[in-house]
Amino acid sequence: MRYLMLVLGTPHDPDLRPEEFEAAPPIEEWVGRHYGSGAAVIGDRLRPAEDAVGVRVRGGKVLVTDGPFSETKETIAGFDVLEAPDLDTAIAIASEHPMAYGGAIELHPAWPLDLDGS
Amino acid sequence: MTDPSRAVEDAFRTEWGRVLGAVARSTGDLDLAEESAQEAFATALRTWGRDGVPERPGAWLTTTARRHAIDVLRRRRVEAERVAASGRLGERVDPGPRAGDATADPVVEQVAVGLDDGAWDLDDPDGDLLRLLFTCCHPALPAEARVALTLRSLTGMTTAQVARAFLVPEATMAQRLVRAKRRIRATGITFRVPPAELRAERVVGVLAVLYVLFTEGYDAWAEPADVVEGSAERRALADVAVRLARLAARLLDDEPEARGLLALLLLQHARRDERVGPDGATRTLAEQDRARWRHDEIAEGLAELEAALAVGRPGPYQVQAAVAALHDEAPDADATDWPQILGLYDVLLDLTGSPVVALNRAVAVAEVHGAHAGLAAVDAVGDDPALAGYHLLPAVRAELLVRAGRPTDAAVDLRRALALVDREGDRRLLERRLAGITAPPGT
Repeated sequence: MRYLMLVLGTPHDPDLRPEEFEAAPPIEEWVGRHYGSGAAVIGDRLRPAEDAVGVRVRGGKVLVTDGPFSETKETIAGFDVLEAPDLDTAIAIASEHPMAYGGAIELHPAWPLDLDGS
Repeated sequence: MTDPSRAVEDAFRTEWGRVLGAVARSTGDLDLAEESAQEAFATALRTWGRDGVPERPGAWLTTTARRHAIDVLRRRRVEAERVAASGRLGERVDPGPRAGDATADPVVEQVAVGLDDGAWDLDDPDGDLLRLLFTCCHPALPAEARVALTLRSLTGMTTAQVARAFLVPEATMAQRLVRAKRRIRATGITFRVPPAELRAERVVGVLAVLYVLFTEGYDAWAEPADVVEGSAERRALADVAVRLARLAARLLDDEPEARGLLALLLLQHARRDERVGPDGATRTLAEQDRARWRHDEIAEGLAELEAALAVGRPGPYQVQAAVAALHDEAPDADATDWPQILGLYDVLLDLTGSPVVALNRAVAVAEVHGAHAGLAAVDAVGDDPALAGYHLLPAVRAELLVRAGRPTDAAVDLRRALALVDREGDRRLLERRLAGITAPPGT
């Protein structure tokens, strides 16, 4: 199974515990372990939403916008693509990420086009 | 000689989950596992009368289910390969990703795993049950689906039976189950015991599902069965939950909380026959006839609790079971060891921080330190938003106000409780209390 792991900043989360974030394992350790094992395939930090570029085609014209993008309370701070045998393995990997302590992680299962709609 | 249809019935009770779990683990497909288990039991009904009951019914049923699953998988593989082949013949200009690559087809991959003999280890039925239990209670599934899926998969209750027990239309329950199974496939939940670092919290999750199931059934024992729809089905859930807790305690024998949950359920369930009076009103513990409690079940619960506590890792279920044990052991209500119950509620509040626990603790405070202290403890949690709308908050307060000699204030709280209550048994109890307060003296 392939998962897109979104790394979110959640500054308004009332349950955030800064002291737990402080004590979380450093990102270098996570990267070393999971890119080293091949569980993480590709990933990066992302620039803030103000630097994002929107692209859409309407009426045959390419419209490029500079925002505003999703006005949520969360920001997408980074992403990684995981290759894991199952969800529990992906959850275990995600729960070791420092931003699981200091923000939130979302695991999005890949949905390959050749699946029969399930 | 064994009655064959009776033997199938017995096997259904004890083996359904194992048969289903074996196919689910080997194929990763819960729908196929259900279908195959059904097929195996149908075959047993047809043939056990003619050929005799097999020596090991569980192994016979699993083998039969396995054969059916393999047949289905073979047919699927043939179909998938036929589709792939016709795709290759089409030879479109844009081949698209992985088009025509039959070996990478997920259906074929899954079929290959299911057909692999190594995937079928028949000697670990308990392991299959445990994996099934963890899967059905997976936290990535919606809470109500976990309960339904556990019932359907571990006990073999039909969708219609599960629907009746939860008072929802069968179509709603069917959809809930279909969605849960779809989510298992889509998110990559596999039939496994969770990795070590997640195991402890997953055990908590499994036990929580069983406790919800029990509560759903046990609440119905405090209602007038003749007027409340679906009472018999809901009451039966409590019994099912006890069976599942017994199973969980055996499978998770290194987890004292699993045993603590079993003890708690046994010690509460033992009082079921006395929970509602002939007037259909819920009975308080003090009103129940203790001779009619099931003393064999209490004995079993006490033994389980003792074994759990001996491990030396207490948790919320063990502490709640200890409270239930003190109630069960008191020969009458006046003999209840309230100081010790209060001490246990202090521990439980520390462990859980739950406002419902704080409310129960307030009752113990009143018993030990008097109504005024109890009222202060109630009012200390009275503003908790989690208790807003909970009828037992004003109901407990009213009870303590009566004891404190403030019947007028108690009547106000009783009316508040009556406006919130949604359980018929509790409603009748509250009405009787209110009538007792407002009746003119001497009548």
